[in-house]
Parts: sequence; structure tokens; C-alpha cells
Amino acid sequence: MAAVTLRGVRKSFGRFEVIHGVDLDIRDGEFVAFVGPSGCGKSTLLRLIAGLEDLSDGDLSIDGALVNDLPPARRGIAMVFQSYALYPHMTAYDNMAFGLTLSRTDKRTIEERVRAAARLLQIENLLERKPRDLSGGQRQRVAIGRAIVREPKVFLFDEPLSNLDAALRVQTRMEIAKLKEDLRATMIYVTHDQVEAMTLADRIVVLNAGRVEQVGSPLDLYHRPRNRFVAGFIGSPAMNFLEVAVVTAEAGAVTIALPGGATLRIPVDGAPPPAGTRLTLGVRPEHVGVAEQGMPATVLAVERLGGETHCHVALEDAQRMLVRMEGDIPISAGDRLRLNLRGETAHLFDDVGQRL
Amino acid sequence: MTGARASGLKTSDLTRQRRRSAWLFLLPMLVVLAAVAGWPLVRTVYYSFTDATLATLDAYARVGLDNYLWLMRDPVWWRAVWNTVLFTVVSVSLETALGLVVALTLNAHLPGRGLLRAAVLIPWAIPTVVSAQMWGWMFHDLYGVVNAALLGIGVIAQPQAWTADPNLALPVVIAVDVWKSTPFMALLILAALQMLPQDIYEAARVDGVHPVKVFFRITLPLIRPALMVAVLFRTLDALRVFDLMYVLTGNSRSTMSMSVYARQYLIDFQDVGYGSAAATLLVLILALATVAAITLGRVRFEAGR
Ligand SMILES: Nc1ncnc2c1ncn2[C@@H]1O[C@H](COP(=O)(O)OP(=O)(O)O)[C@@H](O)[C@H]1O
Ligand SMILES: [Mg+2]
Repeated sequence: MAAVTLRGVRKSFGRFEVIHGVDLDIRDGEFVAFVGPSGCGKSTLLRLIAGLEDLSDGDLSIDGALVNDLPPARRGIAMVFQSYALYPHMTAYDNMAFGLTLSRTDKRTIEERVRAAARLLQIENLLERKPRDLSGGQRQRVAIGRAIVREPKVFLFDEPLSNLDAALRVQTRMEIAKLKEDLRATMIYVTHDQVEAMTLADRIVVLNAGRVEQVGSPLDLYHRPRNRFVAGFIGSPAMNFLEVAVVTAEAGAVTIALPGGATLRIPVDGAPPPAGTRLTLGVRPEHVGVAEQGMPATVLAVERLGGETHCHVALEDAQRMLVRMEGDIPISAGDRLRLNLRGETAHLFDDVGQRL
Repeated sequence: MTGARASGLKTSDLTRQRRRSAWLFLLPMLVVLAAVAGWPLVRTVYYSFTDATLATLDAYARVGLDNYLWLMRDPVWWRAVWNTVLFTVVSVSLETALGLVVALTLNAHLPGRGLLRAAVLIPWAIPTVVSAQMWGWMFHDLYGVVNAALLGIGVIAQPQAWTADPNLALPVVIAVDVWKSTPFMALLILAALQMLPQDIYEAARVDGVHPVKVFFRITLPLIRPALMVAVLFRTLDALRVFDLMYVLTGNSRSTMSMSVYARQYLIDFQDVGYGSAAATLLVLILALATVAAITLGRVRFEAGR
């Protein structure tokens, strides 16, 4: 267990800077997820922490010690790779034991540790198999087992579930959550899947184009996204964004005009912008209600998932929205609805995407 | 049920059809092989049981195993066998070791390695007769650059007759072969190295595996199948070596290989029967070496997975 601290961390490949100064404090025993769209630098940041890439600038400490110049093996980390990276010519047992046999750990201890990890991961009966004779999920477990036997201070996972099918992904996600309880080590988990991040992490780091957009607990990010990027990235289906204008402003709240004539009063944190300012309104699909009164809308398309119904609608001024309704709602394209928004669940973003 | 039966029949029909077209595609190659390799081989084996000479190829008598019995009693033949085996073992070992070094170097992310890779191939691209002649001049006892250079830096006190001295001739031949064939080994090994997954090397770095251990415990086992195929190819090539010895040292006994021996009897002494026996024995030895290599080295020709 150990804290991980990043200060002004930058990384360039040749002339291209891909990590633009990241500051981060990961606490001892914390499970932190890095999320962000593909190519935003999640893996690069993880590999910097692992020591597989050298820092171009900044400082990195693990457990209080500066590790900028330490090789991966001496940083007290273990990594689970996206592709598993198992040694193809070794059995599952040897894959897990290989790193230990070299560090002069005695044979009994190695065997004990491998067996214990295998028991934890329920792969005891697979230890004599080579990777090619294992399924994707089983390889994944061996890869996690190899990390566990190193007894690292920090576990690093790079999209460990992305090669598994949907059902196995849900199951393995639960098992990683259990592992987190059992091991109580610091874990850093990279994923592009925000559901994984929301369900597993104590805190989420949202990355975008090599910058940290926001750090916070899953519900913090859901309820109080700092900017439009985080608001759009966290939550599924994604948040709706509408162009609106300020009607009146008062201390702590703004009243805006909705398409179709209605108005909505939304509490804001900072100083409210003057009347007439153009803003972006953000509303999650699950926070749009259907009512007798409200914003008129026409149904464009309906997606039925059984447990919920997703309804794509067009507003009076032709802006589009997605409405998520509980249950199987009898509704079809062409129907006219009235939508009801609540100020407490709506967000306002200024012209640079910052939340008010 | 009928549907399943019908589809089962259809599959085997399809398989049969595929097999037939496979043979059809192979046919031209088989015909050419039979004409240019099969027939001469059969003729050679046949002549090895006769007393035919180059002048009287049509008038000969069957002599049974006589040629082979003579061959078994000829110390020059055994010398040729010994030379060939020694040449093969030493040169293939050196080429494998050096080829590994070159391949690992080229596999590292060096600037300009594309150019380096092309440059390394040059010795392999030059026809053996040409490179042997080239080295022959370089090793010339009077005008050769090797003597001049070694004398210049004081390694030797007087010029050496590199290709004439019985103690030096075989090492010189081996050195030239190593120069020529190392690129072949290096490129085959390089191809295998580039097929290796990169992530396991990162896993090894995280595991803290020493680079030497990484080589012996990870890289070497994983490229072994390709390495064995490369060694087998080179071994078969080396066992029938002819041009190097012939150009560098002629029919000299100190370097004579089995092929040189067979050619000398076939052409110089015009003894087709006896020469054919030597050639047949060479083919037998090659076949045995191949079988031994494939079974002992567990060489697999299909993609190693
Ligand atoms: N070794 C490398 N050389 C050059 N560019 C790289 C290298 N590794 C990653 N990049 C670039 O850095 C950016 C971030 O990559 P990565 O961290 O893999 O993204 P993510 O894991 O978030 O999908 C990408 O634009 C990628 O092209
Ligand atoms: Mg990645």
C-alpha cells in the first residue's frame, strides 16, 4: 500500500507532447480509475507510473520516495496489461512464479504465494496449462495472479476487461471489486468504459487530450461535472446539450428561456451572467420528465430496451434531445410530448464549457 | 436428420474436390522436380552400381557394391567426410552465434537500421564463386591484403600461405563461409524476433528480469522453432559445400569436401560409377542428417504457436 503523487508530469514522444502537465494525489489504498476517450493518454500516464516510459518533465513519487529514475521492478508496482502479456511458452504457474524465481525468493515461499493467488482467483486447476490452452477470462486471471504474487504496493491495470465479452466483463468487474476489498492495495485502473470506472473506483480521473479535466468520486462527477467535457463523458446515455439564453439573473440562480417559450430557474455557484448571455444547458436523459405542462417536443425515434425506453425528440426550434423513461412506454415516432425539466438536475455551461 | 446427412455428404464431397484441386496445383511443380531432380538422382544411384566412365556412358557392366566397398577403403574419402563434417559443425555454429548477435542488434531500435539491414545482406547476395574468388585474392600469399595488413600491425612475422598451408586452409574456408552465410542466419532470426510480442518484454521489465535472463528464458525459447529451421537449412547447405573449397583451394586434400571428392572422380578421373557412389553416399548422409535434425531438434515447419 502506498500513495502515488504526480507533480507537473509531462511526456513527449519526439516533438509531440501527449501528457501536458498532470498533478495528481492518489491516496494509500485508494482505487483510482483513469477514464477518457481513446488516445487521450491514459495508457501513457499509467506507463509513466509503471516506469515503462521515462518522464519528460515533472516528478513522480510512490510511497513518499521519488521514483523518476527507478526501473519498473524497483518501484513496488505490478501491472496487468491489456493484452495480458503472458509468457507464451510457460505454464500458468511459471508465468506467475517467473518474476519471483529471479528475485531469490525461496521455493517454498514462491509456491505458497502462487497457490494463494490461484486460490483467490479460482484458477488452481489451470496452473499446469500454457496460455494458449486458456480462455480469455482465464488468461486474464493468470495475468492478475502474476501481479498479485509480486505483492506490490501499487497495482496498475491497463484496460484489463476490454478483450472480454460483455457477460464475462460484468463478472470479472465484480471479481476485481472483490479483489480490491481483499488486497487493500492502491490500485490504478485505466479504462475507456465509464461504467467500469463508476462501479469500481473510489475516485475517477477524467482525462482529455493529455490533461486532467476533473478528479472526483463517481457521484461527484455525475452530479457536479466541472465542465462540459466531463458532463458529456460521464453518464450513459450521454447528457443532452441545448443552446439557451439568459432571461434574468439573480444572486445564486439564473433563469433561462427554453425552446417553446417556457423558462427554467437553475441554481449556479458563481456570479451569474447578465441577461441575454448565450449558454449551453446540460440535462441528463434520465432527468427529463414527461408531464401535462412543459416544453413541447415531437418524437423522432424510439429505442425499446424493455426495462427502459429511449426516446429521441425534436424541440420547437429543431434542437434534439434524448429522453430516458423507465419501463416499456407505449409511444411512437410522430407523437407529441411535453417535457419537464428541473432546475436542480440541470447544468449551465459558459462559452468555454466551464460549468456555472 | 436427412438434412444433416446430406450436409455431411456435401462436406466430404467438398473436401475431396479441394484435395483434387490441390494436387492439380502441385502437378506442374512435381513434374519439373521429377525431371530436374528426380531423374538425375535415379540415374546417379543407378550408375553407382556400375563401372561406367565419362567416355563410355552407354557401355558399362554392373559391379554390384564394388564402388561402395572401394569408397569405404579410401582414406581420402574419409578425409573428405571429416572435412565436410568439421566444416559444417564449426561454420554453422559460428554463423548461428554471430547471426543471433547481428539479429539482436538489428532488432534494437537503432537509428538507420533499415540501411544497416540492407548492408548486412550484401555478402549473402554476392554469388559464392565471386566472393570466394574475391577472398582468394585477399588471402593471396604474395599480393593479398590480409598478409599485408597482418604484417603491418605485426600480428604475423612473415607472409602466410593461407590457402595452401594444410593447417590454415580449412579455417580460411570456414571464415569465408561465416562471412558469407551469417547474414542469412541473421535475417531468418531477425524475422523470428520481429514476430515476438512486445508486451511480454514489458512484463519482464516489471518483473525485474535481468536482460541476460530475458534472452535465455524468453527470447531464445520463443525463437527456437525458427532457429532450428535456419540451422537445418544451413547444415544441409554446408554438408554439400563445393564452390568455396573448389575456388579457394582446388582439389587440395586438406579441405576437400564430399562434393569436391565426387566431382573429382566424376569429371577429372572420368569414373562415373565411383563418383556416383560418392554422390549417392552424400545424399544418404544428407537425408540422415535431416531426419536426425527434425526428430532431435523437434523442428516444426508449420507456424509455431
Ligand atoms: N510510443 C509512442 N510513440 C509515439 N506516440 C505515442 C506512443 N505511445 C502513445 N503515443 C501517442 O500518445 C497518445 C496517447 O496514447 P495512449 O496513452 O495510448 O492513449 P489511450 O490509452 O488513452 O487510448 C496517442 O495520441 C498516441 O498516438
Ligand atoms: Mg490505452
